[in-house]
Amino acid sequence: MDKSIFASMPSLTPSLGFASMIGLGLFSLALSYAVKTLLVRNTHDFIIADRRVGFGFGVASVISVWTWAMAVMMSSAMTFQWGLSGLFWFVVPNGLAVMAMIPFARVLRRNMPEGYTISEFIQYRFERSRVATGIVTLTMIFGIILEILINLKGTSVVVSTVFGIDWKVATIVGIVCVLAYSYFGGLWTSVLTGTLNTLMITVPAAIIVAAVFAAVPGGSEAVFNAVGDAGAQNLSVLRPDAAAGFGITLAFGLLAATVSDQTFWQKVWAIKSRDVGRTFLWAGALFYPIPICLGMLGLVGIAAGLTPADIGGDIAAIGPYIVAHIGLPLTLVLLYVLVILAACYSTIDGASSALSSIVAVDIVKRYFPATPERLLFPITKFSVLLGGVIATIIVLSGVDFTTLVLTTYALKTSILLPLILAILWPKTNTVGFVGGVVASIAIGMPIYEMVGELAGTLSIVAIGGLAVVGCGLMDSKEFDVTQLRRVSDEIASPAPGAE
Amino acid sequence: MYTLILVLGICAAALFLAGFARGLRNAVIEYRRGKPEPTEVPDYNYVGMAAISVVISATVIALVGVAPMWIYAGPLMVLGTAAGIGVAFFVERPSA
Repeated sequence: MDKSIFASMPSLTPSLGFASMIGLGLFSLALSYAVKTLLVRNTHDFIIADRRVGFGFGVASVISVWTWAMAVMMSSAMTFQWGLSGLFWFVVPNGLAVMAMIPFARVLRRNMPEGYTISEFIQYRFERSRVATGIVTLTMIFGIILEILINLKGTSVVVSTVFGIDWKVATIVGIVCVLAYSYFGGLWTSVLTGTLNTLMITVPAAIIVAAVFAAVPGGSEAVFNAVGDAGAQNLSVLRPDAAAGFGITLAFGLLAATVSDQTFWQKVWAIKSRDVGRTFLWAGALFYPIPICLGMLGLVGIAAGLTPADIGGDIAAIGPYIVAHIGLPLTLVLLYVLVILAACYSTIDGASSALSSIVAVDIVKRYFPATPERLLFPITKFSVLLGGVIATIIVLSGVDFTTLVLTTYALKTSILLPLILAILWPKTNTVGFVGGVVASIAIGMPIYEMVGELAGTLSIVAIGGLAVVGCGLMDSKEFDVTQLRRVSDEIASPAPGAE
Repeated sequence: MYTLILVLGICAAALFLAGFARGLRNAVIEYRRGKPEPTEVPDYNYVGMAAISVVISATVIALVGVAPMWIYAGPLMVLGTAAGIGVAFFVERPSA
C-alpha cells in the first residue's frame, strides 16, 4: 500500500463548495425562522429557551457544540501523528470533560434555579465583586470569540483546500451563513440546528470512513498490516511520548474548556432541571464514537506513508486529504465536507447564543438594570452577530492569533480550580478566588513559557487551587449556598401585555 | 461492511428523525401550554455509567491495534450515537 492510491479530484469546483456552505445555511435559516415563530417571543426565550430544552435536544445540542470542526479533523490528525496512542489521548479526556460538568451543573441548577450565566453566579457568590465577576465575564467572552475564530478558520481552510475557493471568501460566506440563521431564534435555533447537525456529523461519518476503507486495496486488513509495518508503536495505546507530548495537557485544557465555558453553562440553565445530570452523561458517552470513527482515517494516512509535506504541511488536513483524494464518489466527498460544515456551524451558533446571554445578563442588565424588554430584546439579538464579526475581522486580518489563544488558555486554565471550588467549597472567598486566578496567571504563565506546556499547565492549575484553599482556610466565614435560591430571574418572561 | 453500515445508517437516521419530530412537537406543545417547569434536580447516580463509557471507548481504541475488524467498531458505534439520540427523545417524559 502506498501513496499511489491518492489522486486529486477535478470535479470539486468552487461552485460546489459555495452550494454546500450556502445550502446548509439556507436550510438552517428556514428552520430558524420556524423556531422564531413557534418558540421565541422575548429575551428570556431567546437566551434560555424558557428553561424547557428537553432530554433529546439537550443531549444532541451538547454533542453538537462540543464537536468542533477542528475536532473532526484533529481526531484523524492525532492518530496520523501518534498512532492509536494519539487517538486514545485525544478521545478519552474529550468525553470525560463533558461528563465532568455533571456535579457542578447539578449543584448550581439546584441552588440557583433562575440563573443564566456562570458570571452571574460569581456575582452573587462573591458579594457582587466587580473584579471577580469581570474576570469571569472576560474569560467567557474571550473563550467564545476563540471558539468562533478557530472553527471559522478551520472551515475556511477545509473549504478552500477541497474546492479551491479563496480562504477569505470562504470565511465570509461561512460566517454570513451561520449568523443569518443564528440571529432569529437564539438558543432554540442553536439547539434545533445543532441537533440536526449532530445527525449530519454521525451517520455520514460512519458511511465515509467505511467507504474509505472499502476504497483501499485490501481493505482494513491491508491498512492494519501497513500501519504495523510502519512501526509497531502505531498500534499501541501506551506510547508515553503521546501522553507527555500532548495528552495530559489536552486533558486539563478540555476540562477547562467545558467548565469555564458559558456555552455549556447556558445549557445547564436551559435544559429542564430534571434532565440536567443525565443529559451531560449521555452527551459525553455518545460523543465518544465520533472521534473514534473519524480517527480511523489517520490510520490510512500512516498506512499509505503520507507525510505532512504531502498534504500541505498541516497534519489537520489528513482527513480531508484522504477523503478528497482516495477516489470516493463525489457525493461522499461532499458529505464529508458537510460533516465539517455541520460541526463548524453548530459550534459557532452555540457560541454566538452563549455570547447573547452574556451581553443580556452580564452587561446590559448588570450595568443598565432599568433597560426595558423592548430594548433588551433587539440588543440581545444583535449581540449574536458580535462575536462572529469580531472573529471574522481577526481571521481576515491575517494576524497571528497566538496571543489570543494564549490569553484565553491562561484565563480558562487559571480559572478552572477557583471556579470549581467556588461551586463546591463554601469556604472559598473573594480574595482567594481573585488571588488564585491572578497568581496562577502571574506565576504559572512564565513557568508555562519557560518550562513547557505540561509543567506550565500543572503549575497554573495548582497555584490557582492552592491560593483559593489557603485563603479559605484563613477565613472562618462560610458561604450559605441557599442564598442563591433567592436570586431572582434577571430576565423573567414579561407577562403578556406588560410591555 | 460498507453496505451493512449504509443500511444501519439509514435505520439510525430514521430513528433520529422520528425522535427529533417527537421532541419538536413536545417542545411546541409545552411552550404553548406555558405551565412553569418544576425546578427539582433529581439525584442521579452517574459515576458507574460514566466509568463504563470511558472504559468501553478506551478498550475499543486499544482493540483496533489487535485485529483489523475492530477498525469498523468506530463507524458502527457512531451509528449508535445517532440512534442513541433518537432514543433519548423517546425516553424523555413530556412535562405534565
